[in-house]
Amino acid sequence: MAINIRMRGKAKGGVAEVKALIKHEMESGVRMNKKTGKPYPAKFINNVKVTVNGVEAVNSDWSGAVSANPYMAIMLNANSGDEVKISLTDNTGDTGEETLKV
Amino acid sequence: MKRRSFLKGTLATGAAAVAVNAGLLTPSTVLADWNAKAFAAKTTDDALNSVYGSAAAAASGDIKLKAPAIAENGAVTPVTVDATSMSGVESIAIMASKNPMPLVCTYNFGAAAQGYVSTRIKMGETMNVIAIVKAGGKLFKAEQEVKVTIGGCGG
Repeated sequence: MAINIRMRGKAKGGVAEVKALIKHEMESGVRMNKKTGKPYPAKFINNVKVTVNGVEAVNSDWSGAVSANPYMAIMLNANSGDEVKISLTDNTGDTGEETLKV
Repeated sequence: MKRRSFLKGTLATGAAAVAVNAGLLTPSTVLADWNAKAFAAKTTDDALNSVYGSAAAAASGDIKLKAPAIAENGAVTPVTVDATSMSGVESIAIMASKNPMPLVCTYNFGAAAQGYVSTRIKMGETMNVIAIVKAGGKLFKAEQEVKVTIGGCGG
């Protein structure tokens, strides 16, 4: 299933702050189901890559301790018109990607 | 071209899935990129050793760590690490000292990124948020206590 990402950001003077809101439950695998006594199975985004014009700028690993529906803001060296792409993968193999012209 | 890489991808994942089913590979070997050892570490020092090969980080005033003094809801604690005033920032890691697995996330930066990260993390109780910045091959850290009134881990 594709993971939904919403991106915002504008380049100003060679720097762009890119913000992203990702729709994901981020189940850590630690939280207990009180009825069955077993933990809910882990399902969280564990890798996030950001590229500027196809060149990797950020490579980030996450654990299940990142909040549900994660928010991420990063600063990139980018000029207006550059293409910023976020691609992510969760621990069950689901992926999502989104591009934005800053 | 696209179709070819798509086919290749499905075949590769298919083969990996078969291997997992046959018990040849444990899930952790499949996710070799993801540092399972660091994220499973129970202490901040163990986590740092796994990620950076060292737990010796010097406190630095150049790291601006922004986190609330009191978080009403520990499940969404906003944390911002701003190390843009430092040069040669290669990586930032965020840890929550008393979480069962303290390491929350690691960010590695290429040339087109600046040393800045803002995110939201889960915190189970009142504890310190620790930001680790690797700049010029050295580790620096900043710490701040966050009082949590409602835990973020199903409490």
